This record gives sequence, C-alpha cells and structure tokens, in this order.
Amino acid sequence: MEQWTRREDRRLLTGHGRYVADLVVPGCLDAAFVRSTVAHGIVREVDCAAAREVPGVIGAWSAADLSGLPTCTHAAARLQDLPPVPHTLLARLSNEEAVTGREWPALAKERVRYAGEAVAVVVGEDRYRAEDGAAEVVVRIDPLPAVVTPSRAANDSIALFDGLSNTAFTGEAGQPIDESVWQGAAAVVEARYRQQLLMPTPMECRTILAVPEEDGRLSVWSGHQMPHRLRRELAALLDLPVDRIRVVVPDTGGAFGSKSAAFPEFVTVVYLAVTLGRPVRWIEDRLESMTAATRGRGQDQRVRLAADADGHLLAYELQIDADVGAYPHLGVGLPMQTAWMATGPYTTPKVHATVRSVLTNTMVTYPYRGAGRPEATIALERSMDLLARRLGMDPAELRRRNFIPAGSFPYQTPTGRCYDSGDYSTALDLALETIGYGTWRDEQERRRENPDALPLGIGLSCYVERSGGEPGGLHEFAGVEAHEDGTITARCGAAPSGQSHETTFPALVAQALGVEEDRVRLVEGDTDAQPEGLGSFASRSAQVDGAALCHACALLIDRARERAAELWGMPVEEVEWSAGSLRPLRDGSAAIGLAELVKDTGPLRVDDRFESGMGFPFGAHAAVVEVDPELGTVRVLQLVVVDDCGVVLNPAVVRGQAFGSAVQGIGQALYEGIPYGDDGVPQLANGLLDYLLPTAAEIPPIEVKDTRTPTPSTPLGAKGAGESGCIGTPAAIVNAVADALQPADPGLLQMPLTPDVVWRAARAPKYEEAR
Amino acid sequence: MKIKLTVNGEQHSLDVEPRRILADVLREDCRLTGTHLGCEHGVCGACTVLVDGEAVRACLMLAVQCDGRSVRTVEGLSSPDGEPHPLQRAFSAEHALQCGFCTPGFLMVAAGALEADPTIADDSERIDGLVESNICRCTGYEPIRRAIMRAAAESASRGKP
Repeated sequence: MEQWTRREDRRLLTGHGRYVADLVVPGCLDAAFVRSTVAHGIVREVDCAAAREVPGVIGAWSAADLSGLPTCTHAAARLQDLPPVPHTLLARLSNEEAVTGREWPALAKERVRYAGEAVAVVVGEDRYRAEDGAAEVVVRIDPLPAVVTPSRAANDSIALFDGLSNTAFTGEAGQPIDESVWQGAAAVVEARYRQQLLMPTPMECRTILAVPEEDGRLSVWSGHQMPHRLRRELAALLDLPVDRIRVVVPDTGGAFGSKSAAFPEFVTVVYLAVTLGRPVRWIEDRLESMTAATRGRGQDQRVRLAADADGHLLAYELQIDADVGAYPHLGVGLPMQTAWMATGPYTTPKVHATVRSVLTNTMVTYPYRGAGRPEATIALERSMDLLARRLGMDPAELRRRNFIPAGSFPYQTPTGRCYDSGDYSTALDLALETIGYGTWRDEQERRRENPDALPLGIGLSCYVERSGGEPGGLHEFAGVEAHEDGTITARCGAAPSGQSHETTFPALVAQALGVEEDRVRLVEGDTDAQPEGLGSFASRSAQVDGAALCHACALLIDRARERAAELWGMPVEEVEWSAGSLRPLRDGSAAIGLAELVKDTGPLRVDDRFESGMGFPFGAHAAVVEVDPELGTVRVLQLVVVDDCGVVLNPAVVRGQAFGSAVQGIGQALYEGIPYGDDGVPQLANGLLDYLLPTAAEIPPIEVKDTRTPTPSTPLGAKGAGESGCIGTPAAIVNAVADALQPADPGLLQMPLTPDVVWRAARAPKYEEAR
Repeated sequence: MKIKLTVNGEQHSLDVEPRRILADVLREDCRLTGTHLGCEHGVCGACTVLVDGEAVRACLMLAVQCDGRSVRTVEGLSSPDGEPHPLQRAFSAEHALQCGFCTPGFLMVAAGALEADPTIADDSERIDGLVESNICRCTGYEPIRRAIMRAAAESASRGKP
C-alpha cells in the first residue's frame, strides 16, 4: 500500500474505479430525455408515437402518457401516476408556502419554465437507441416571453405561475437601519453587484441507476452526496417504506454541492424502473447538464456601508434579489445563507439583510460550493474596498480596525449567527506577509508614475463562513465495530465525491483507538450498511462525521473496558485502555487485546448519533493582478489564500481542496458565466467551449497557508474545509482589478471580469476624476 | 461492422455499429470502464486514450476508425506484473487526483507524450501544454503538473546509462 498515498488511489489510477456508468447490470435500459428548447412556453403537443416504433426503444412517454393510469401492480410500489419532484425542508432551503400552487412536474405538463426542462422520456436498450427514439418525439411548444434575471422577473409582468407572484419567498436577517445612521456617518458607500449564475460542473455529470430486485426491494445507485435523503425522498414518492429501498453511492466524480437532491430525471427513472420492473439508468451527458443541471449563486445585490471618520463601521445594509430559477423546490430559501452571513468578520453594530427570492425562466438555483457565503463575502469585501478608497485608508488597515477581536468569541452577530471562534487579524497578517504586501504597494506606485507600465492592483478579501449545517441538520450517525481478526470497521453517514474519506477517516479512527491504520476500514455511502445518515454537504464531513467517529471510538473503548472489567471481576475504573489493548491498572500482566476480547465476549459494535454545533471557518485571501487596459485582460500575478479550518485531519488533503477551491474562485471572478439570449435560452451550444472553466493555462502562482483555530463546537475541533476558495478568492481578485483600474463606478466590474467588461471599465471615468 | 482492435495488447474481434464512438466500445464492448466520458465533445479530455501511441479523444473517434490499430487505455498503464506506471505513482504521491474522474485522461495524455519523448522533463513548457489540454475541476492542476514532472524526471533518470 505504501506506493499509494490515498486508499482511493489504487483503483482510481488504474481504471478500476466504479462510477455509476461503469456498473454492469444485465438487461439495464438507458433513459434519454426530450427537452424543451424554449425557456418559457405552453406545451401544445408531445407525441411519442414515432419514438415507440424505433428499433431498440422499449417505451416513450410524455407527462400525459404517465397521468391518470390504472394502479400499478408491481410488487415494489403502489404507484399510479408519475409523481412530481419533491421539495426539501432541509436547512430551510425550501418551505411549504413557497411550493404551494407551484408543482414541479418531473416531466413538464402544460407549461415549460426553463430551457432544458424535460417534456418526454425515451427508454431504450442502450443510450444510442434511446436517443434515436428521442429524436422522433414530436414536440410543439408555443413560446411565451421569458425572464432570466430576478430584477426583471420581480415586477410580475411575466408570471411563471398564473395567478401567483414570481416572488416566492422573502426574508430578512437583522433589524432595519434608521435613516439617521446613514445621514450621520462620515462616509457611506453604495453599490450594486451581480453574483452571476454558475455551473458547478463536476467532471462526472449526474447519474442514477434503479434496479427492482426480485425480493421486491429497489436498489438505487447514484453519484450523490446524501444517499439517506435520496432514499427517504424516493420512498415517499413511491409510497414505500424506507427499508425497501437501498441507495448506494459508488465512486462519484465530484459534486460541489450539486448532487444532493432528487432531481426530475431521478424521479422519472426510478418511477419507470418500478413500473417496468426492469433496471433503468440515466447517465446525464454534458450538453444536457449545461441546460438542466442546477446552477449556483444568482443574486442581484444592493449594498450600503457606513463608517465614521476613523473607519469604524457603523452600518451595513444588503438587499438581495435572488434568482432561484423556475421552481422554488430546492433553493428558494438558500439566499438566506447570504443574509445570515452578511455581517462577515466585522464588529459592525447594525447590519440588515433582506432577501427576495424570485422565480425566473432558468434551471433551479441550488447549493454550489460556497452556497450563499461567497455572495455574502463578495458583497461585503468589495464594499470594504470602496469604503477604504472613500476614506483614503489602506484597505488592510480598515479591515484590521473592524475585525471582531480574537477574545470576543462566541460572538453574536446582528444577523443572527453565533460565531464559535476566530482570529481574523492573524489570518490577514499572514496573507499580507506571504504576498509581500508592502513590496507590491511600492511596485504599484512605481507603475502609476510610468505611463507605459500596465496597471497593477492588490485585492484583499477576509471571510468568515459557516460549516456543519443548519440547526436540525447538525448531527450525524457513526459507528465502530471491532472484529475477532483485529480489524475495525468504521461507519458513518457521509458520502464523498473526491474528499479522501477512505484515507482520512480510518486514520482518524486508528488514532482515536491507538491501533494501526491498516486495521481500520471505512464503510459509507450505502444505506443498507449504514442505516442512518445525513451525508456530505455544508463542509461537514470532517467537522461532524469526524467528531462522530471519535465519539463512537470513545464509546467503544468504554464498552471494551466494561467487558474486560466483567471478565476480570473488577470495577471498570480499574481497567485501562491503551493502544487497542486492555489491562488491569494494578496488574499489567493480564492484558488482553481488543480482538481477543471480541473472541471471548462476542461481537462489539457501537453506533450513535452525534450532535455538532455550527463551525465558522475563516480566512484572508490576497491577490495581485496586472491589467492590460487595451486588451481587457487580467493576469493574476500572485494569489495567497490563508484559511482556518481548525484542527486539520490530513494537511495534504485539506491543502489540495483549498487549492482546487481557489481555482474555482478564480473561475467565478474571471471566466465562468452563463450568457442568456433575449428568449431566455442559455447560449451554451458549444458546451464547455462556451462555459469557460479554468484550465491549467489560467492558474497563477497560488500559495496556500493556514492558521488553526479549533472550533469549540465539537471535541475534535475540526471545522469545514474545501469551500474556502470559492468564498474568499473572487472578491480578492475583483478588488485587485478595481484597485488597478480605479473606476468611479464599481458597478462596471461585474463578474466574470471578461476582457469586454475590463476593457469598458478601463475606459470609464476614474475614481479621482469623479470626485 | 466487424473490426479488430488490439487493446492493451489483447486482440478484440468486435461487431460494432459504425456510429459508435471508441469510448463507448472500449467501455461497453471491451468492458474497460477506466476511460471516462466527461463532455463527449472533445473538450475535457477525460476519455483520452492512446491509438498507436498517440493521444486521442475517444469521444471524437469512431471505433471503426481504429480497425486494425492498437489502443492503450488506463487499464494498460501498469506493467503486466501489476507494477504501477511511474505516472500512476507520481499522481498518487502529488495528490494529483481527488474524485478521480478526469484522471485517466491526464494519465494517458502524459503517458503518450512521455513515451514518445522521455526528455520532456527538461521542458516545463511542454509539460504545461500537456496539463492545459484537459480539464480537472478538483485539483486546480498544479498537483497534476508536479506529478507529470516527477514521473518524467524519474523516467529520464532511469533511461540514462
């Protein structure tokens, strides 16, 4: 094993990984979806007759074909019609009020509300046959006017649901701020920011394989972050007890938040598998993913930030018009995360954030790595730079002056968060020192005096985020079992998609028990093997599952000591645990190993539920950029990311995630975005040639550093890692470009900072000229 | 259409529809699922394999175009006795993979280049070019670049007398 750094590596590097598309199930059918090419319209006709005649096609159905059916006789379910897409109450992502009257059909019925919405499904002997059939489905949709930005959709001149407002949710955090506060402030800055829609783009698109078993159970394989949620939601849809469904997550090719729901295609595939009594799979291809997979971000923001003459923050107001897509079922409440985190790392006494979640003719907005925190950080940190410029202060000094001091935790924010721990100035100081802040400022001055030099800018971004989950979802289930052969099985409810759990968690368990690492094996991502669990989202696995495993280890040690005490007829206090063995405190000679104890006393397994508090990781990112005003290009000369995720379980793994996350942050700042035509159709016909993911050519020198402030929310002290770059990096880069160009109107620099955006900003009036 | 493919040294006599892409035939007919499809239009490079030693996107090539030719996939990287390829060891050592989905493509791009010219370790721009040819969403590429450098340096030093 020593030639493989991670346990996952052997199979993933030799072609023996098993992703859903790699699984071989005899007789498995492939599903292909027929999708709307218009963003908004009335469905006049979906005729699948010709598709059914195509050789190799098993069946083809529109929504109408799967409505009003006689009760299905398949043993697995009391199914009748194709059920609609479920909504989630998890983490307050959606609620009953928002979805009432707004059904999300798994196949669109009389109306389509986003380009890419499925209107029919064709099942064939393989994907080629299924697509042959899909090409024969006749679809006629009369287009309606479409709206793709929340600002335009909010006035309801084009309603997605007749008789209902497009505004599906409103909320706020903090108290309204009196006008006198703004009037009395020495400096007030205002701005509007657009947090563009992004595509999470894991390299493996979505997958599901549903297999009706002979015993009447249903097995489902899916690249998924929350197998237990998927099981629960599918059971409800199919009217089955949860124990009749097994969900297994095999190797998963990335997720970044986007693989944790029961999507319309999942509902359809599982329904068809049960109805047909045959295995059916859907392996999403990239092109359909680009129209029909969930998006992230999507906010139009208005901010006001006030300070006194010394730069002490007085008040911050954030108004969010959130683009939640065509249906409120998965993410209508997600923008509240931005509102709750609006305070950031500062002692601002008055903070008020309001949210208006507006339906638009786009695919649904859902968590994407960062999930609400990047939007909070980018708005605040861009505004901090505007304020520093207004006050004539160094942006680092302005931040330092307002940080919540390291000694003031737990800290209750005006927007309802209770931060567990923090040391913000240490993180900033490390970032400044690492990047050589003073040297770059000198270089910037030199360039400003040289008309031939390309302008250079330095951008900072200090963030605080939240990890572990929201109240009601901060727990996890974990267990450890000792076997007669000396091996240990650890189980937990997590489901990784590239985060190295198989390596990291056994190491943690081995350390907690004091046994060799290679004796410990991890089981996760299978609802039969681990009956209860929440999953991997909200940067929670190390923090919550890690702590839950440590907790289970402590319980196992207690049980083992009790058993040994019984064996030896002595009080448990007199039995000592040491490195996987037990011995009486007074007479070391009678020591017994854990394996032996199991042999003598029977199976030893503990399972428990563990409750974590919220964690609030933080950090400081700094970027230096050079801008070519003629070409509109941005060259990142240096990026430093300092993150604090508390206790680090595996430094190389955390570092790898921080680096990759920072690159996704660069993607948001400079490259990624979804252009929409006036008709509301995303202009992504050329797939990944149109949606610009960073390639290796775009990667600047990035230095990853950390500070380590353990969270008191769990005994382990680990906080979330991995989302840091998406949260901290974009504002650092945008601030650096603003610092280089000094445009008077900050609204000119809206992400992604494409050459067109930068070229225009470079020609606009400068800040000093405007004054 | 009947074709003969040599895949990782093994002869396969196959009857395939002319429209089937090489990646699907490798995955489904030859049961070699290490070759992954990430975009199916030649951009991401996850499906990269070697055809007669040259790196190709297996999603842009029809299987029938490979009739009589020799294909190498990630399953054929290790030596027959199971000893990992220097690239496989280097990718692991440098944490050059997280979810592993794009990894076979990067391995094959690098393997093709390294085998064609063992001196690429001396030319960091050429290695940059290799890494720039594929997409990874997890690692941020730097570990992949380091891994290829490491494997190339190792191969070069082995090749020296």
